[in-house]
Amino acid sequence: MLTMKADRTGLSIRAKSNLTGWSFILIAVVMIATFYFYPMVQALILSFKTGTGSNLTYTGGSNYVRLLSDKTFLTALSNTFIYLIIQVPIMILLALFISVLLNDSKLKFRGFFRTAIFLPCVTSLVAYSVVFKYLFAADGLVNSLLMKLSIIQEPIQWITDPFWAKITIIFAITWRWTGYNMIFYLSALQNIDSSIYEAARIDGASSFKQFTKITVPMLKPIILFTSITSTIGTLQLFDEVMNITKGGPGNATLSISQYIYNLSFKYTADFGYAATVSYSIVVIIVLLSILQFKVAGDKK
Amino acid sequence: MRKLKRVFTYAFLVSAAFVSIFPFLWMIVSATNKSVEVTKGRLLPGSHLLDNFRKLAESTDLWTSLWNSAKISVLTTILAIVIASLAGYGFEIFRSRAKDIVFSILLLSMMIPFAALMIPLYRMFANISGNLPAIGIDTMASVMLPTITTAFLIFFFRQNSKMFPKDMVEAGRIDGLSELGIFLKIFMPTMKTTYAAAGIITFMSSWNNYLWPLIVLQSPEQKTIPLLISNLGSGYSPDYGLIMLAIVIATLPTALVFFLMQKHFVAGMMGSVK
Amino acid sequence: MKKVLALFLSCMVLLAGCSSVGGGKEPAASGGNSGSGDSGSKAEEITIWAWDPAFNIAALNIAKEAYSKKNPDAKINIVEFAQADIIQKLNTGLNSGTTKGLPNIVLIEDYRAQGFLQSYPDAFYDLSGKVRSEDFADYKIGPTSLNGKQYGVPFDSGVTGMYVRKDYIEQAGYTLDDLKNIDWKQYIEIGKVVKEKTGKDIITLDPNDLGIIRMMIQSGGSWYLAEDGKTPDLADNAALKEAFELYKEMMEANVVKVNADWSQFIANINNGDVATVPTGNWITPSVKAEASQAGQWAILPIPKLPQTPNSVHATNLGGSSWYVMNIPGAETAADFLDETFGSDVEMYQNLLTNVGAIGTLKAAASGEAYAKPDDFFGGQQVVNDFAAWTAEIPKVNYGISTYAIEDILIVEMQNYLNGKGIDQALSDAQAQAEAQVK
Repeated sequence: MLTMKADRTGLSIRAKSNLTGWSFILIAVVMIATFYFYPMVQALILSFKTGTGSNLTYTGGSNYVRLLSDKTFLTALSNTFIYLIIQVPIMILLALFISVLLNDSKLKFRGFFRTAIFLPCVTSLVAYSVVFKYLFAADGLVNSLLMKLSIIQEPIQWITDPFWAKITIIFAITWRWTGYNMIFYLSALQNIDSSIYEAARIDGASSFKQFTKITVPMLKPIILFTSITSTIGTLQLFDEVMNITKGGPGNATLSISQYIYNLSFKYTADFGYAATVSYSIVVIIVLLSILQFKVAGDKK
Repeated sequence: MRKLKRVFTYAFLVSAAFVSIFPFLWMIVSATNKSVEVTKGRLLPGSHLLDNFRKLAESTDLWTSLWNSAKISVLTTILAIVIASLAGYGFEIFRSRAKDIVFSILLLSMMIPFAALMIPLYRMFANISGNLPAIGIDTMASVMLPTITTAFLIFFFRQNSKMFPKDMVEAGRIDGLSELGIFLKIFMPTMKTTYAAAGIITFMSSWNNYLWPLIVLQSPEQKTIPLLISNLGSGYSPDYGLIMLAIVIATLPTALVFFLMQKHFVAGMMGSVK
Repeated sequence: MKKVLALFLSCMVLLAGCSSVGGGKEPAASGGNSGSGDSGSKAEEITIWAWDPAFNIAALNIAKEAYSKKNPDAKINIVEFAQADIIQKLNTGLNSGTTKGLPNIVLIEDYRAQGFLQSYPDAFYDLSGKVRSEDFADYKIGPTSLNGKQYGVPFDSGVTGMYVRKDYIEQAGYTLDDLKNIDWKQYIEIGKVVKEKTGKDIITLDPNDLGIIRMMIQSGGSWYLAEDGKTPDLADNAALKEAFELYKEMMEANVVKVNADWSQFIANINNGDVATVPTGNWITPSVKAEASQAGQWAILPIPKLPQTPNSVHATNLGGSSWYVMNIPGAETAADFLDETFGSDVEMYQNLLTNVGAIGTLKAAASGEAYAKPDDFFGGQQVVNDFAAWTAEIPKVNYGISTYAIEDILIVEMQNYLNGKGIDQALSDAQAQAEAQVK
């Protein structure tokens, strides 16, 4: 749409505006090139080296061969995908739903609700992991509540059972990041002209229809943004796993980022292989992001 | 039907708020208890708040760390949202094929785990320490520089610029405003809520940033709040009451920033600007 | 909106200003490494990294005071970081090939020491001339030395004991003597009776932390790695197999209260949920934190392995030592360690009285402070007991990958508990360890 307009105003202006455009993005490009791309290239070189600590030597692609037969890596990869597939859609929908509820100007205590729901992502992980472990302990509050309500007979081993530990992690991520994603939706919702809704209401459109026919299409760029950033966030998931289950029981909740951390710091440092694992995440994220852009039809 | 919907809305929001706020409340309650009571999971406020506070103030550089964190976070936030919004706006309003390619490449920088960048980054800062001690390791600048510009924030501003009516740019041009003028006088005021959201998120991640400051800072007088809290929990017999109090103190600024900013999220803001 | 631009510009200026102030402080702050280069001079400034304000940092402050009396010019900066933070900073710093920002002295946990010494061969300063290894408890020398050179000054003893709730034991019909010098099989049997009579579990364990396995095998003079500290020794390790079997038996006897982290571990102790706590002596302050339980606790020798022939009633859990980094200031740093943790017997008395730290310097293993009865433990001379057990701890080579192997074992332990055969589990662990540890 914009390029069409530029066409109309003639070539020299277009070239000038192109130059202005570049000057708008210059600082950002320089900063990111220096502080991200330069180290990324270094890390790529590192991923072809092996050895512990400072005894690093080039070994060609041996790290990448090791990656394919590394059981722990494959476990971490499949755990991470389980988190991704289940958690990201739930969280995005929940955040969207809450934002729409909170966007109602007739709602009372909006400030309180917003702040309360936002609070989890600023609550320190230390506090939150201690609380979570209390709530989800075998004799914790959640179990006693569920048992009182006769929903379950036996206490659920939320943290020490391989299946339930994954569920607990999914709860934890959703709890912590829903309010965070809500912010992006709330701020974007302000940019939708309220007269559109009024017009729809006069036409007799139901709330559900308004949501699917106005809100979702209008918020599409932001929905794309949150789903890509949440995908990245989940693939780089570290804090929740590290603080709540440490990856256990066994490796049932281990995430790729935690494995990278273990390789770099918990075990005798092997930064070359850690870089290799990191690049495996990059490849996966790139593929997924391309897919998400395509699905969202951003090119239009 | 209407009424039912209202009841449902409130019931849902109240329970969501309760679930969200519970650990936060527990944290505040725990800050008033002794360590033993905290580990036992006591849910009632105790009488050790002042005691914990006195110990915390005596045994740590609490005020220095708070001041360091505040300086870093405020500066980072302001610089970050200006740089990122300029870029996000530039990418969308002056869209071209070349810029789209540059944009996709910038997005790549979000995708690598930070742990992989740490060693090259550290080496970079250690090497410039000799010539440029002002931005070498163990300085505030070294903490901030890699975190000021993120593809994440540029992406956020770009996506929001997509919702910005392009007619307003044209109108600005017709009024004879410079391109920067259009950005400053039309885009910025119109997108206030976007700036508010970006400000909250950037402040929060800067305030809570842990790994990089840990690596690059050396001296105790430079420490930030997350490093201080990390120290508190590291002993054989950590004092949980003290830790909880420190966490409450560390959390309040971000909560406050949010509370102050969220009032900008008022429906129909856009209409009134027009 | 010009205001915004003005704000932006002033931030830029402020940033430049602030950072130059920070930069000005830098040489002093990062200590000896950026110093003048006259590494022989005693007047030099040294920086020390350690964790735990109540323990290691407190001990350092006592050492600093003692040293400053004799060397009034010495300037010693003690910087506190969490243990995990120190490991991250050391690894990052050493790997980036620059010595900038490294401390002169650093505290490293014994389990990790060989990993650092072998990965960064030139990064640590050889203390062989200054520190006499025969002055310290035997078992501390394995982790702190490499190829016959002494790199570390051994610090705290991780000697273990079995903390016992007298009241629960008596309620179940036992006396303390019944639990003295028992093996783990008898321990489990007693546990079943205690559970039946009192409803209390005998022990609390975190499935993600095989500390108890480490205690068991070291008591039998065995470790995850063979004596060379490099070859994984899991598949044919009789002591390890026995420890695994005992662990499973304990779990199946339903006498274990599972915890998920340190705070719950301590909560289970303070809440009186368990009858015994077999662990390192450093747990004492946490046990004492629940003052209302004074007089109900006693400390007995740790159980031994029933079938491993040379298993003893003494073993280790945790503990760390001091290392000097090979950067300018190393000699001053070595001198500091030599005069304090390396030889000062009087200082160790002080450490015990004020910090509760039990050292491993043989010459300091007795004295008034050691014989002091502890009322919380019913007047038992607990430190004397711990000192005696410290001397008996079997010496093993922790090697370079304790935690990497342990993570493999944690997974195989889960498999074993879920029905996999013990030999299969251990040989699978062996194969994975061999692939990973090179």
